[in-house]
Formats: sequence, C-alpha cells, structure tokens
Amino acid sequence: MQPQNAEPMLPGFVRHLFPTVAGLPLGPLLTLSLRSLASRRPGLFERLGESGSACFGIDPVDLAFAFCVVPDGQRSSVRVVGKDGTAGSDVVIRGPLLALLGLLDGTLDGDALFFSRVISISGRTEAVLALRNTIEDAELRPADLLGLRGILAGCVDRGVLSALSIARRLADNNNPSGAQKA
Amino acid sequence: MTTTPMELVCPAGTPATLRAAVQAGADAVYCGFRDETNARNFPGLNFSRDELAEGVRFAHDHGSKVLVAINTFARVGDVDIWKKAADAAAESGADAIIAADFAVLDHVAKNHKQIRLHLSVQAAAATPEAIGFYAAHFGIRRVVLPRVLSLQEIAALNRAIDVETEAFVFGGLCVMIEGRCYLSSYATGKSPNLNGVCSPPEMVSYEEGPSGTTARLSDFTIDRYGRGQPVGYPTLCKGKFKAGGKTSHLFEDPVSLNAGGMIAGLKAAGVTALKIEGRQRGKGYVSEVVRAFRKAVDAVEVGGDAVDIDRLLASQSEGARQTAGAYEKKWR
Repeated sequence: MQPQNAEPMLPGFVRHLFPTVAGLPLGPLLTLSLRSLASRRPGLFERLGESGSACFGIDPVDLAFAFCVVPDGQRSSVRVVGKDGTAGSDVVIRGPLLALLGLLDGTLDGDALFFSRVISISGRTEAVLALRNTIEDAELRPADLLGLRGILAGCVDRGVLSALSIARRLADNNNPSGAQKA
Repeated sequence: MTTTPMELVCPAGTPATLRAAVQAGADAVYCGFRDETNARNFPGLNFSRDELAEGVRFAHDHGSKVLVAINTFARVGDVDIWKKAADAAAESGADAIIAADFAVLDHVAKNHKQIRLHLSVQAAAATPEAIGFYAAHFGIRRVVLPRVLSLQEIAALNRAIDVETEAFVFGGLCVMIEGRCYLSSYATGKSPNLNGVCSPPEMVSYEEGPSGTTARLSDFTIDRYGRGQPVGYPTLCKGKFKAGGKTSHLFEDPVSLNAGGMIAGLKAAGVTALKIEGRQRGKGYVSEVVRAFRKAVDAVEVGGDAVDIDRLLASQSEGARQTAGAYEKKWR
C-alpha cells in the first residue's frame, strides 16, 4: 500500500543533503548501533519473537535511498540500499522520514498513520505488528541508539529532538496546504 | 444517576503504554498476558508476569488500578493455562480480573477471593437474568456491556441489576454478539474467542494494484481502497461485499466508536466506568485519547459540558470516521 496523504515531507535543502550522507558507511554504523543496543537491552528484542530474523525494508519516501534491517539481537544488520533494494524484504514500510522517526520515538501512532495512509506496509503483517509493538515499548531515545549515557546522553537527546522539532516545523511550513496529520 | 465519579478505564498493550495511560489520567488500565488467554493476542504485544507485577506497582504508586483481561475461552485439556494466568494476575496485586469463561470465573471465585471479578464483554451478558446468574454464581462485581445496547436499554438494565456496569466510549466497534462471532473462524480456521485475534496477522495481506490497494484475510478479499482513501482494520466484519447485486459494508462500516458526547447520558444511565478500546494501539493514541476523555469526564463530573472530543480525536479513528454506535440506535 503506497502512502497517499501527506505527513509533511522534509524541506528540499535537507533532502539534498542526504545523498552525501548515503555515501558514508551508514549501514555499518547503524549495524553497530543496533548490536550495541541489543547487548545493553537484550529484553527489548525478545518482543519480536520469530519476527526478529525477518528482513524489514524501511523506505523513507523523501530520501533517495532505503534501508534493509534485520533486528536479530546481536546478529542485527542494517544495509543502505537503493529504492529497488527493498523488493526482497519480508516487509516493506514506506512513509516520509519524519513520520517514520515519529514512530521510532513514539510521538506518532502507527495505526493512525496507517488509517490515513501516511505510511504504507506490505509483506508479512505479523512481522510489522511485532516490530511496531516492540518499538512502542522500547521508548528509544537518540542516545540509546548511539550507546551514550549520563550528561552526554542528555545533551545528545535534547539536541537531536530539538533538531527533529525544527525539521517538523520547517516541513509544516513547506506543506502549507496541510497535509493531513495523523 | 450515580454520585461517585465515573472511572476512566484505559488500554495498555505494553508496559510503556501502561505508564503513558496512567500519566495521561487513567483511573484504571486494563492489560493482558503475552499468550492466548487474552483477546488481544498480537505479536509483540502484552505483558510477561514480571512486567505485569512492575506495571501494577507503577499504577498503584500513581493512584491507578490495574485490571487484567483473561478473557478468551479455555480449551478442553488446556484449562491450566488460563488458571495459571489468573493465579499470576492475583499474585501481581492487580485490582481485578476480567473474564468470560466459566472455568476461569469459577477458579478465581474459589481461589482468589481478594481480587474483584469483572465480567468481560466477551460474555455478551446484556440481560438482568444473565448478569444475575454470573453475580450469584461467581460474585462478579462489574459487567462490561456489549456494544449493542442503547442508552435507554443501559438505564433499564442498571435499574434491574446490583453490579457495576462499564461501557465502551471510544475505539473499535464490534457489532457481533461478542464472544460468539464465527466470521473469522470460518475464514481462517482460527477462533478469535480461543486465540485472541479476529484477524490472525499472518493471514492478513495488503496488495498494491494499479487502482489502489486490496486488503485480504486468508483467501477472502476484505476491501479495495482507492488511492488516498482512508483504510480500516482488516477484519471481515468491516469488509465490503457484493450481495443482492449491491456492493456495501454488509456488517459494519469501518468507523470508530466515539461516545464522548454521551458521557453525561451514560452517567445518568447509571454507568460506573467508561472504557476506551485499543490495547493494540500505541502510546501516541493512548496518551491523546486518555487525555481528551480525562478532560471530558472531569467536565461532566462538575456539571459542565463535555469538551469537543469528536474534533480532537478524529485523526485517531479507524477510517477517519466516528459514530455513536448503538447508544443512539437511529436504525430502530
């Protein structure tokens, strides 16, 4: 199912910055980050059950690339792929980057985004549900993904969340016709 | 009309959602174990024994109650799974067990007298005789009312029974006789009343085509959605089918219940507790809906008008549409 109604898209200049980021070793960095998270919070991955070994294609529609994620605890992996690279995934989740990040930090409700077609899913529905529920319960902060603690974690969380908030405001201004917010 | 304030009973599918519901103002949260003993048995959802105990501590520390749903029907030969779930709920210090099955009700009534028993909506008890039977034999203290009664019927029922009533005010609707629906059993071979889900997710698929999206459950097409059209849950009762030469939602439209405008009416009808559906929903939904209903209930309790929660909650609704459901019963 393709996303139809718009959660605001990233502003143009931000979108233009991302292809350069894709050239960096983003996949290996995210893989390390996920495995480190698994070693610190093993219980988090238990909620996934059998779906932990599934391959999740995550396709931010406002970026030029996508991700293939296998959230299998210490064996987790993240690959950065082209737009066609998610085709073999067990599940594909598509939507604007800010909506996908909103799901990750729990500020947006997955069902509401799905009902209003801001995000789309295809493939193994049980794996999508397991991932959604696991992420919901994880209450991840940016510092969790970076493996940071203490004062530094607090600073990083505040910085990243403020940046996201600014990005959402910019995106809102960029979509004045009002994209239907879920 | 009841003089005690109405209790706002809110869903919690995960420990994080339990905390969100409590912090948003829930008087009570309801939740279940990560197995087939509860009627929201979705992948990745629900509580382990330890998580429930921790959730109960958190809720009690914040002045909220925890009600544990053990509300599917026990299988022959496997009744121990349900009995052990009831034992674990009682050990956790939870305030009530929500059950429908005679074996579970009997086990709790005989072995855990300190915990309240609430009759689940899965029992579909909607008459003074049925409710009186459960009260006399198992000592139930509250009945969760089926979503097929009008306000007038609820008022009449409350005048005839001695137990509390809990009414759904927001979320997914079930227009079947709850606990006795065989639609998805027919389509998937799995009973929602035994396994805890109406549409087993491994049998749900969404397929993209040139004109939109097709939702399927097993081999049955539930609906086709044009591009940009809001979608609903993939349940057969909300599907679009052709019958008598006409295509329509034969059983139920894909809409959400919203009785936010009827809180004063429900109070006048003698309802004790208001229930928000949605243990399968996330923290965003729970926080927003609970906060809106907290405000509305508080306004009604001090004699004011309910706030405009229809507008506030439109985006959280299935199919982006809402209904007052059977409470108004305009079709009669």
